[in-house]
Amino acid sequence: MSYRKAFIVSNALMLGAFIWAFVKDFRAEWRPYQAKYYQMAGDALDKQAAAEKDAKKAADLRVEAKKMRRSPMEIKQIIAGDLGRFDRCVTCHVGMDEYTNPSLKNDFTENPYKSHPKVDSALVKAHSFTKFGCTSCHSGQGLATQVDPAHGWVKHWEKPMLKGVTIQGSCVKCHDNFETLKGAEVAAQGKKLFNKHGCQGCHAINGWGGVVSVELGDIADKPFERIAGYNFKKVRIDGKELPDQHHNSHWNIQNWIRAHLVNDPADVTPNDPFAHYNTEPIPPSGMPDFTKEITREEADAIVAYLSGQTKEERIPHRFHVSAPPAKEPALSGAAHGKYVYTKYGCQGCHGIDAKEGRRRFNAAGDGQKEYDEKMPEAEQLAQMNLGAEPTLPKLVGTYTHDELIHKIEAGVPATDAKKWSPKGPMPMVYMPAWKGKISKKELSDLATWLQSLAVKDDSGF
Amino acid sequence: MPLPPLDIEKIKKEVIDSQLWRSVFRGGVWKDTPRDRAGHIIGNVWLHLHPVKVRPRALKWAYTWGMGGISFALYLLLTLTGVALMFYYRPTIGLAYQDIKDLEFAVTLGMFLRNAHRWAAQAMVVAVIAHMVRVFLTGAYKKPREFNWGIGVLLLTLTLFLSFTGYLLPWDQLAIWAVTVGTNMAGATPVLGNEGPLGSLVGMRINNDVRFTLLGGTMVGENTLLRFYVMHCVAVPLVVGILLILHFWRIRKDSFSAAPYEANEEKVDVWPHLVKREYIGAAGTTLFIMIWSILQNAPLEAIANPNVTTNPSKAPWYFVGLQELLVYFDPWIAGVVMPGLIIVGLIAIPYIDTNPKGIGSYAWKERPFANTLFMLGVVMWFALIYIGYALRGPNYAWYWPWESWFMVKPAPPPTWSVFGPKPDGAYSMLLGIPLMGAITAAWMLLPKLIQKELDGKKTMGAFLGLVALVGAGGMAMGKMGATEVAFLLFFLGASFYYGFVLPQRHIRTLDWPRYSVTMVLVISTMSVLLKMCARLTFNIKYVLTIPSISMNF
Repeated sequence: MSYRKAFIVSNALMLGAFIWAFVKDFRAEWRPYQAKYYQMAGDALDKQAAAEKDAKKAADLRVEAKKMRRSPMEIKQIIAGDLGRFDRCVTCHVGMDEYTNPSLKNDFTENPYKSHPKVDSALVKAHSFTKFGCTSCHSGQGLATQVDPAHGWVKHWEKPMLKGVTIQGSCVKCHDNFETLKGAEVAAQGKKLFNKHGCQGCHAINGWGGVVSVELGDIADKPFERIAGYNFKKVRIDGKELPDQHHNSHWNIQNWIRAHLVNDPADVTPNDPFAHYNTEPIPPSGMPDFTKEITREEADAIVAYLSGQTKEERIPHRFHVSAPPAKEPALSGAAHGKYVYTKYGCQGCHGIDAKEGRRRFNAAGDGQKEYDEKMPEAEQLAQMNLGAEPTLPKLVGTYTHDELIHKIEAGVPATDAKKWSPKGPMPMVYMPAWKGKISKKELSDLATWLQSLAVKDDSGF
Repeated sequence: MPLPPLDIEKIKKEVIDSQLWRSVFRGGVWKDTPRDRAGHIIGNVWLHLHPVKVRPRALKWAYTWGMGGISFALYLLLTLTGVALMFYYRPTIGLAYQDIKDLEFAVTLGMFLRNAHRWAAQAMVVAVIAHMVRVFLTGAYKKPREFNWGIGVLLLTLTLFLSFTGYLLPWDQLAIWAVTVGTNMAGATPVLGNEGPLGSLVGMRINNDVRFTLLGGTMVGENTLLRFYVMHCVAVPLVVGILLILHFWRIRKDSFSAAPYEANEEKVDVWPHLVKREYIGAAGTTLFIMIWSILQNAPLEAIANPNVTTNPSKAPWYFVGLQELLVYFDPWIAGVVMPGLIIVGLIAIPYIDTNPKGIGSYAWKERPFANTLFMLGVVMWFALIYIGYALRGPNYAWYWPWESWFMVKPAPPPTWSVFGPKPDGAYSMLLGIPLMGAITAAWMLLPKLIQKELDGKKTMGAFLGLVALVGAGGMAMGKMGATEVAFLLFFLGASFYYGFVLPQRHIRTLDWPRYSVTMVLVISTMSVLLKMCARLTFNIKYVLTIPSISMNF
């Protein structure tokens, strides 16, 4: 090819490439949605005009329909400056844009054309779109103008859109009174379940709860970088593996929390108990197996509640709704002791109603075989899994009332644990010292209730 | 009334003779005479950077690869796209990431612009390195072009620095951690860095050393972003521009090719012969970048979070080779001494290479030592980049391309140091320092002191036989496996061949100063191979460690 030809061809190709780039840019994903909305809204107005008997009003409607069809194509956004949000969702969901659709209502049934449901409800009325934007409640990537990135279903956007009841977690972000709030029932149930099963015994939320495991006050902000991919691979929801690791609609924090409730956490995070990969053995997740106690729906409620536990989002104080602290029931004696047991989450380790101690990996206890170095690893693992927290009714009979109070106040340091396999890891969970955390009266009633459960043996004691 | 016939020639003449046209374009009607062609170059301030005539070999693509021109075309493309991006970008940690998202989702052609800037920057790094390789292989750096080669090396360094400073600007996880990896090495600078050898002795702390100066803080933050922005958009491009003018001016003065003149060699006109080639090169490059930018989006990860380290964290790809060296060396060697030696060594090459042959052609046989050692360096540089970029996964463990990163890898075996303070109280560096010094000195001197040229094949055979014997002994004692012996044979064999046999054969006749400088560079290169060997075969962390002054080899 001569240089003259190459000159002409290269210039033509550069122009072509530029036009290609421009066309690609012009054919943005949002355009067809917005165009179709204007068309549909125009048709709806025409239909209204046809049904209208007053000729002048009908003519006005027709003009309006024409104007609607000719609306300019544009990126629309809600600037909720107080909450630091620029939400372009209304670029496609035009029916939810107050400027294009002042009534915020239409008859369309399909996304993204339909209007926001229940716009007349007190809930929506109290949270005007212009002030709150979209992502304050729904999450997702407000700046994006393409389907997958906008809903957060892409790698590197860690707050994908909240689905179903999980959205109630967003109420928890501002409403301290969500337990009595209309519309936040599932999140409220989640909190109840969280406390019923004793999660607070190990996990504090905003300082209230135990210190055995991580504080969950900012669990919704947990970066995916901190969740090992090979652990995410082991998660099973409804018995199925989560699809496509790059698609945050599945590999997200909600499913990570859910995974701990509908799987045995030790299966999700098995770690390295035999030191195959590390110099020291690392025990599996110390969290008990709740699969027999918590149903899938209950797990979803807990997930919804915890989805609202964020510190990352800076919400101005005037958005917060405070609530008075929960009232303590007027109980006394053993009945009060039972209440105290649940309040502080003792059941997290010792079981609901103190019936049976939960798993304590590699702790020496009853029902285990003698440790033998030559035992195959699978069998060793099974034996380590038999290690358990004390089943209190079997134990408390050997203490006097005062001794029991003292024991609870002092706790049992993690280092005092007796290991089943001396080469295995230290048991993760331990009895924290409760002195100063549980009041004297509560402690006394707790001890009374516990001793009322004590199993009496035949020896006459 | 019939119109008078249209006399195009007359109109053309009148237009060209008008005051307006004459004020803009000088010269008369284009007749394509030598005078016209010369006038085109002389009468245009931009084209005037060219000479009027050029040697015909400067026009051959196979000779020049067009890489110098393409590098400059990319620089212009980067300036153009960069200025356009500056209209949308604000360098503060609260806005930077959001502005990039806006470019991606809301600005017309914003994504295209950002892609073009990103990919052109990567392409420029490759083009500049290719340009350097071409100039080296054709011996074009030799007298009188030594100084211009040095400027070229500085321009290469600045190209890398420009790319590196730009890496931070999107303010995402990729940016902040790549820059953290890169700048942490500055903290290991000898004397000037708080973690470097001797640094603490002269009062370097984390908040007053060279890393602090670079970052404007003790960690990558708001000040760093502003500093990198100003360096990226103003300071470094200015310096590059000045050096480019110098670079071009020298080429023009020294003429395009260093080859000796052939009989009856006639120069050709730059206009149109060279200019049209330059245009096609630039147009092809632009087209390539445009299509790449349409098809592939620049990466953007989650917003930067100093509390969440990505695993693995990697430097920008062109520095990943140095990062890979961190596995084997302390940061002060991998991050400061090695790159410093590369830059200084490259600049020194024209002054130590006295070989008069092999100028103006790819004459491997006439310059066996220079070409072999240089290409060895280039291959090592890219091999280390490949390993660091493609074969390192979580925890910087080794993952083959077919292995999933979701597989857990065992931690590397524990390492030990040969000479240095020992737990049992032995103070073996008193032995190690003189021993290491003696070995290095012997290595330095021997190739020159053995006056007679050794038989390469016999020497290599004897050496490899010795290594194989040691390996066999190790295997018999159960201390080594077949892999370890293979490592030993490969690394020691390569170091011996390139570090001893070749210098002994080719440079022992050099004068002492040139010989010493060359050997320092050769031994430094070989030390990389030897240290890799020591780690992979014997799990040696340091050969010599002096913790009291943070000096580890």
